[in-house]
Amino acid sequence: MSSLNLLDLDNHLQTQTPQQILQFALKEFENIALSFSGAEDVVLVDMATKIRPDVGVFCLDTGRLHADTYQFIEKVRKHYNIKIDILFPDAEAVRNLVSSKGLFSFYEDNHQECCAIRKIGPLKKKLLTLDAWVTGQRKDQSPGTRASIPVIQDDKVFARPGETLTKFNPLANWTLQQVWNYIRAYEVPYNPLHDRGFISIGCEPCTRPVGPGQHEREGRWWWEEATKKECGLHATNLKDSH
Amino acid sequence: MKITFVKKILSDGSPCAKCADVIGKLESSGQMARIDEVLVADERDPASPGMQIAKRFNVDRAPFFVVEKANEEPQIYTVYLKFVKEVLEQKTDENEELKEIMQNNSDLDFL
Repeated sequence: MSSLNLLDLDNHLQTQTPQQILQFALKEFENIALSFSGAEDVVLVDMATKIRPDVGVFCLDTGRLHADTYQFIEKVRKHYNIKIDILFPDAEAVRNLVSSKGLFSFYEDNHQECCAIRKIGPLKKKLLTLDAWVTGQRKDQSPGTRASIPVIQDDKVFARPGETLTKFNPLANWTLQQVWNYIRAYEVPYNPLHDRGFISIGCEPCTRPVGPGQHEREGRWWWEEATKKECGLHATNLKDSH
Repeated sequence: MKITFVKKILSDGSPCAKCADVIGKLESSGQMARIDEVLVADERDPASPGMQIAKRFNVDRAPFFVVEKANEEPQIYTVYLKFVKEVLEQKTDENEELKEIMQNNSDLDFL
């Protein structure tokens, strides 16, 4: 698909429901998989398995997830009778990091080095095997960094050399409330941490419950500045220019 | 092969720090000699050459590289170390590439 086609497609898919977007994605791509974080993005697993029961699903096991999240991933595996590809970080890279900087270096500098090793490394390896992937990213997750995420995009970061990788974000236009309405309506299993005040769930040291009125972003990497967006090109300018 | 490097000027007129970092690396390593054209994406001017090429290739971040080869679709690289490895065919540090991806793609935070 050319970039022009993708723009047209995105404009069209922006008006579609997550189910319709998934239907399109699974029809267009055989070699496609869902990224499942063990949190509320379970709605994508629910929707996708109704379309393709043996859809590929993968989880990034950083080695630092909550015990409840591991239990929940197992629950999802059994509930939907699916194979979940659990991805692990490179052991030598983790060893080098914790040997030189300790087990909690992210509190002293930032989370990016640790995330790079524990999440991005295995993700990159996995995506080299796929033609398309699906995430649970939503615009309302982080106003600073996700205000303009497309529903379909050409993933230039993780594409194989000389090839294309397509990324779908079917929940881009859904709010957290809509996600939870779906979970309640369809009795989708969910991570019990949500009942204990966790809105966004990631690694145990980097996730905390939030209080009433707090944005979910405040429950993640709260010691860092929340809305850095140095590398983005102003989207309005890109869309409006002729 | 033609390689175009696109750097950004922010909406307040200041230069983009990441772009300056990449330019520094290109110059200190001698890789700048491989770059055929440098374009500026000025966020204050949608008609600037860099903004136009970003729009053409649907790129939503800068800096980035456009690699054009005869009879092939142009390739876009938004990760400097990926460009160095795949286009300039130079050895890179995997962990440094992963760190660059993480630093420049905040949307990956919640995976």
